[in-house]
Amino acid sequence: MTAISTTSPLAGGDRRKPAAARKWWTPDTPAAYLLLLPVLALFAFAVVYPLLQTIWLSFWDIRGLYPPKFVGIGNFVLLMNDPTFRNSLLTTLLWTCCTTLFSVGAGWAIALLCALAPKETLVPRVLIFAAFGVSEAVTGYIWLGIYRADAGGLLNAVLHGIGLGQFAHPWLGDTHTAIWGLIIAYSWAQTGLPLILIFAAAQAVPKNVLEAAYIDGADSRAIMRSIVAPLSLPGVRVALFINLLGSLRAFDTIYVLTGGGPVRSTETIGYFMYRESFTQFKLGYGAAATLVLLAAVLVISIPAIIQRTREAT
Amino acid sequence: MIGKAPRWVPIVVWAVSIIWIVPLIGIVVTSIRPPADTVLGWWNLNHIELTLHAWQTVWSKYPLANGFLVTAELAGLGTIGSMLLTPAAAYAFHFLRFPFRRTLLIIIVNAFVLPQQVVVIPLFTLWRQMGLIDNILSALIPYVGLSFAWSIFLVKNFLEDFPKEMIEAARIDGCGPVSTFFHVVLPNSLSSIFAVGILQFLFCWNSLLIPLLFLRTNVPLPVVFAQIAGTYDANWDMQSVAAIVTTIVPLVIFLVFQRQFAGGALTNSGSKE
Repeated sequence: MTAISTTSPLAGGDRRKPAAARKWWTPDTPAAYLLLLPVLALFAFAVVYPLLQTIWLSFWDIRGLYPPKFVGIGNFVLLMNDPTFRNSLLTTLLWTCCTTLFSVGAGWAIALLCALAPKETLVPRVLIFAAFGVSEAVTGYIWLGIYRADAGGLLNAVLHGIGLGQFAHPWLGDTHTAIWGLIIAYSWAQTGLPLILIFAAAQAVPKNVLEAAYIDGADSRAIMRSIVAPLSLPGVRVALFINLLGSLRAFDTIYVLTGGGPVRSTETIGYFMYRESFTQFKLGYGAAATLVLLAAVLVISIPAIIQRTREAT
Repeated sequence: MIGKAPRWVPIVVWAVSIIWIVPLIGIVVTSIRPPADTVLGWWNLNHIELTLHAWQTVWSKYPLANGFLVTAELAGLGTIGSMLLTPAAAYAFHFLRFPFRRTLLIIIVNAFVLPQQVVVIPLFTLWRQMGLIDNILSALIPYVGLSFAWSIFLVKNFLEDFPKEMIEAARIDGCGPVSTFFHVVLPNSLSSIFAVGILQFLFCWNSLLIPLLFLRTNVPLPVVFAQIAGTYDANWDMQSVAAIVTTIVPLVIFLVFQRQFAGGALTNSGSKE
């Protein structure tokens, strides 16, 4: 500690010169690493090592307690020839696109409506946001109750109630409808965040811009269409990205609502890796599937990574 | 908004919000009606009897009370861990100059895109070798380790507006980098550390995949609940109680701080009246 405090007064002067950043040793170095040590250790242990190890494991055939066998890219070849995985790729694509479009679309539409009458819509806004605060596992349970095939299922009861009884269906028991049931349930839960983000962006439109438009004779519909909607686009962009990432990594709702079934028709890659690694104990195979998920995540994240890197440094 | 909003706007928003309100009400109603009355749906009005029976008996049927304590412990420790370690790192990255600063920072802040799935397989084998399966550390370490990706970014962003004069004054008065952090920066960035705490608490409380894989005997609420919801017992009343117990704490925190979620975005854009 004494060494740090004696060297540190020197640090004040040249600390922000670019040359100092390139030096291998600066007066701040011991203090910086002392402060960073626990973070770097935990981060390396919990993130960096597992990430590299996942890549390494993906080259091995590991089944339960048998000795691991090096197979190179064998796992990836197997994945591409595995109809279940190919199906899970399609499921992931459908799931990710639809949940993001539905949740951000609904959130955007409701946010713009709310921006027209912020005070009167406070309560419904908070209630929609509340669904986002419900644990994902509980969301799954809530929708389990809605899709139930017996008389206690809300959706079928509503269909009967409005005279569309012939469309009543065991929604989660059918491979064609289960994925849509899951998509609706997840979008329902995820609408709150885009709503609040885009509403905040719409509310942030400067008052003098709105006043000027009003004086120039624009009615609230014109103001909404030509000023508020375009100016809320940054909020939409952020919401799109957050929900895309969230959908790709989703696990909890799927686990509770369908468990990937029926006949693995609702397994996204994020669920497929769980199933292969932790119920079949094919760790290498699961790791390879995880890397496919990671690749998808990275492709989507390129703009965010560039922006974050620029902002942070 | 300027001018009078059309009357239909609140009506439409209320009508749409029914889709979100009704399922939430359904859970509460199911939890306080006898299961025999809700066989035909929690909304049917044939026989109305409210009971707290499920609320009283669920505790002996499912390990909810223990789950609650485990969750509180996990979420509490995970939150404290992030709140204690993040500020020092954010300060070091923002105000100090040292080798690999840029590289380390870029790696850490971009790790936020990583899904949990990427880390669980190696951690599972590692915990098994170290005998840490079922140890609280097996969940806490990834909770805290994964949080740095966003928490450091959040606090560092807050420090962008931190007056540099205060740092320089402290340095001139003879404070070293470490004591500058503890005496000047830390006491003045509590609001951002608190924000980290709220987000991390919600993340830890709701986490399912990590404790599902790494914990066995003392499991937190989402794991207990996922096992309950997976059974085909016709005790929807008790399952609904379990659902409410699982989600009530994060839900209340969410609603209490939702103004801050929106308010933060508002004040940043400088549009105050």
